[in-house]
Amino acid sequence: MNRWPHRLGLAATMAVACWITTSAAAAQNLHGAMPMADQAQKFAALKPKEAAALASTRIDPVIWQSVVPEDNTLTPARVALGEKLYFDARLSADGTVACATCHDVSRGFTDQRPVSEGIRDQLGRRNAPTTMNALLMQTMFLDGRSPNLEEQAKLPIINPIEMGQPDGAAVTKLVANDAAYQPLFKDAYGRAPTYEDVGRALAAFERTLVFLDSPFDDFARGDVHAISPQAQDGWVLFNGKARCVSCHALNPSNPLGTDNRFHNIGVSARHQDFEQLATRAQIELAKNSNPHALDELALSTDMSELGRFMVTRDRADIGAFKTMQLRNIVLTAPYMHDGTLQTLWDVMDHYNKGGEANPYLDGGIEPLALSESEIDAVVAFMATLTDKRFADQAQTILAAQRTAAATKRPFRDNALALRQLIPFEQRVTGKGGK
Amino acid sequence: MPRRARHTSIETKHYAERDALFDGLRHLDRRAFLKVSAAAAAAAAVHGMVPQSFMPIDVAYAATSGVEPFRIAYISDAHLYERAVNERFVRSLLRAVDDVNHLDPQPDFVLFGGDLAQLGQAGELDLGAQILKNVKAPMHMMVGEHDWFLDLGEKWQALFGQPTYSFDHKGVHFVVLNSIHEDDFWTARGMTPMQRMQTVAGLDNGLQGRFQVGAPQREWLKQDLAKISKQTPLIVFSHSPLYKYYRPWNFWTEDADEVQAILKPFNTVTVIHGHTHQMLTNRIGNIQFHGMLSTAWPWPYAPQGLPPLTIQMDRADPFNPNDGCGNGGVEVHADGLVDKVYNLWNRNPVTVSANYLSSRGTKNVPAKPNLVSF
Amino acid sequence: MRMLIGTRAAFASLALLAVAALHAGAQDAAPTATAAGTAGGEMEVKLCDNKTTTTVPADQPRTAENGQKIASALMAQWLEKNPDTGWVKDELERHELVMPADNNALIGRGQGATYSAITSEDVLLWRNETVKFAAEGSTIFHSGDKLKSQIAVSCDMCHPHAANTHPETYPKFQPQLGRVALLRDMINWCIEHPVRGEKLDPDSANMRALEAYIMAQRKGAAMDYGRR
Repeated sequence: MNRWPHRLGLAATMAVACWITTSAAAAQNLHGAMPMADQAQKFAALKPKEAAALASTRIDPVIWQSVVPEDNTLTPARVALGEKLYFDARLSADGTVACATCHDVSRGFTDQRPVSEGIRDQLGRRNAPTTMNALLMQTMFLDGRSPNLEEQAKLPIINPIEMGQPDGAAVTKLVANDAAYQPLFKDAYGRAPTYEDVGRALAAFERTLVFLDSPFDDFARGDVHAISPQAQDGWVLFNGKARCVSCHALNPSNPLGTDNRFHNIGVSARHQDFEQLATRAQIELAKNSNPHALDELALSTDMSELGRFMVTRDRADIGAFKTMQLRNIVLTAPYMHDGTLQTLWDVMDHYNKGGEANPYLDGGIEPLALSESEIDAVVAFMATLTDKRFADQAQTILAAQRTAAATKRPFRDNALALRQLIPFEQRVTGKGGK
Repeated sequence: MPRRARHTSIETKHYAERDALFDGLRHLDRRAFLKVSAAAAAAAAVHGMVPQSFMPIDVAYAATSGVEPFRIAYISDAHLYERAVNERFVRSLLRAVDDVNHLDPQPDFVLFGGDLAQLGQAGELDLGAQILKNVKAPMHMMVGEHDWFLDLGEKWQALFGQPTYSFDHKGVHFVVLNSIHEDDFWTARGMTPMQRMQTVAGLDNGLQGRFQVGAPQREWLKQDLAKISKQTPLIVFSHSPLYKYYRPWNFWTEDADEVQAILKPFNTVTVIHGHTHQMLTNRIGNIQFHGMLSTAWPWPYAPQGLPPLTIQMDRADPFNPNDGCGNGGVEVHADGLVDKVYNLWNRNPVTVSANYLSSRGTKNVPAKPNLVSF
Repeated sequence: MRMLIGTRAAFASLALLAVAALHAGAQDAAPTATAAGTAGGEMEVKLCDNKTTTTVPADQPRTAENGQKIASALMAQWLEKNPDTGWVKDELERHELVMPADNNALIGRGQGATYSAITSEDVLLWRNETVKFAAEGSTIFHSGDKLKSQIAVSCDMCHPHAANTHPETYPKFQPQLGRVALLRDMINWCIEHPVRGEKLDPDSANMRALEAYIMAQRKGAAMDYGRR
């Protein structure tokens, strides 16, 4: 058995515990992220004026109460501890990866990459969801395998591809031996650090990441000039012809634009051996079911493409991934669970043609026959869901996307979109197009 | 652990298991059969939802009736309009054909359960025939009322031959009926053919007659069945249910009692029917009845008359035109009884086994729905 | 416009007759449509009742399409003068309608200006209007054309006799709309998506009639708002 990863992890932990960071920082691999100190500064500027957003005015009070667990109510101490942990790359086996590496304040609280990069530059298989507004998601991860933020936070730290710690105990030891952390845990939870509390603190911090102050919110509250006429057309299409709202629900109790469910819209079907994998996995997965093993499997094998099925083992969930939130969507490109769609126009093209035919396709996805101007309108609407604090950043990104989309639209298929060719037709008759 | 090593061994292991299963099944020595089937059942025990293609044949059925176990598939109730009118129903039929073509192993044959066209028009029937030509396995066609009442079967017969026929396969006697005849309701009203068709096309249209097999066809059935022994397993394909479920929607066969009387003397009788667009299960005497799913749209359960053995399907989501729809299969056992497989799209498949019916709903009970129709 | 089953056929034959008459010329036309010349290059086309007329340009090409337009115009006028009085009976024969509550017990009762001395004629009047309103909804419910469906789908295809419409459960959160809906919101959503028709103005006659039919069919179900 190969013990090197273990040994390296232990060695790294010990080195880190001796606090030799400042010189290491210069040579440190940031994995594309903004340096942690800079991120922390940037975040300080983003924070709302009222005390740590403990009482967020953007979220319905009944809903707010329901998402905060009894054993982890928000206190300034817990939030501060969580914040420190979030930006602490020493939590990873080689000291280069923090939560903020893949959930970077300057990059939409994600990493704006197709798939994420962890320790030793290993690449995972999935696109990092944003931590913004994550407190309102009913499950975490693209396959919903964690029921809440507390559980989610604990998994990347011990994932061999992401932060690479061998187990929770190693992490606990690390923070317990740190003079700076000891009093913070005492203040936050009144006890010595445990791995569960690490998860709780991170969750408490993430519950302050509320970014729901967008032009669309002003419009929804009655300011008809808050968004452009084009965006208003897009909103009508969103609720109508474009068929978005049925999965991307937007209402005051659930302002994210997700139904918290899992749908196969065909993105995974673009991977070559998806259907073969589906058949194999249905039998193979009967053998392995603890969360840690699933987590590993999800990130390191082709099985990742099977999505929610890995968690529920329901055939209905093969290739199904969570409907992601639409809030701040301009900032969180590239899109889909594997980051294969670069721009919002690519996303619209994918839906317009009815996704990708495969035996497990959600039948709700069908060709939409949207015109170019209708597509532009829906994109314009989506752009209005950006929190005002990121307006400038989003403007730059959207302009870049628009330029890119003007030259190439790799997912566009007019024959399918306009219903001249019918989904499944090529598979069955072999005729028409690709 | 190195990723590559894990992969190779999984694949190899899977295919080895599968080969062993099918090898074993070829030798109907009971001991070998049991051993191999047990292994397959273990390998395939994933929440009762093994892929349709890899369903182990239930060991419980001993070879008694000279039947070599086999499986067939079905596609039913496509209700096609021409492409330019409605491409949604075409998509669904194509999806069903795609499913059936990807079955591994392939079924012995595929039944089309009736209502290929929506308004019986030549363009619709031609389109359906063209699409079904892509089915890899051999097809047997059955007529439905939507195919029939525009021209009283002229185009159907030109395309597919006689609507009523029988054949034998691996020890089972199959009968295909035209069970959607109606007494003439159109002449007195001076209806045009299209008016007649549109009347029949409305499920809740009270002007039409009730479905029947009719005396001439019942006579044919008697003669046809006179040729086989009472021990020969019988599977009857019919569009209407051959029992009386809900008259206002023609979920009904007016001469069901007479037809059942003809079938009753046979030891093992199963009726597979279309028309109802829902999961439906019934047992009357020794006759077992199973409904087929539609590819086009699901129907709600009728307010009265639902056979008590029926395992209902959950209410469909109107956003998803494929929800509550699908195709399926029939697994025929050595004793000639069948397990009915419902391959629901975007849901887990459901199997209603012969055991469930034989035990009057006490054994092998499939999961009950939790979101019933109103 | 409500039509008997037979009038569609009548439409078609009128079109043929109109075209035939135009081709045949004014003099040899059978006493069906007479085309008399008028000043300014226009032509008057008359229906077989010798009363209903319409005017068309004299040099209009004599195509089947134009013939159909003429026939439709004549038919529209004729129907206005001869409303299709048997339509309710026809609709009820075709599609069973749950009858409204029986108000006979109120005959002879009542006080005040509006609700005084209720008569049997009153009860008949109320019932008749109520049934007609619901029956109107039934005709729309069962017609892809009236719903302006682009895919020839009508409501009854998924909801025979308005089954599974459960109007008593509204208002409720409707996942397909992502928000709380009233019955009419869901009707419109269904028109837009499964039917792919034209959404109705919520206060339009058609929407009101559809609601009426759906509620009529569910008579007796207890109000149960919010139930999924």
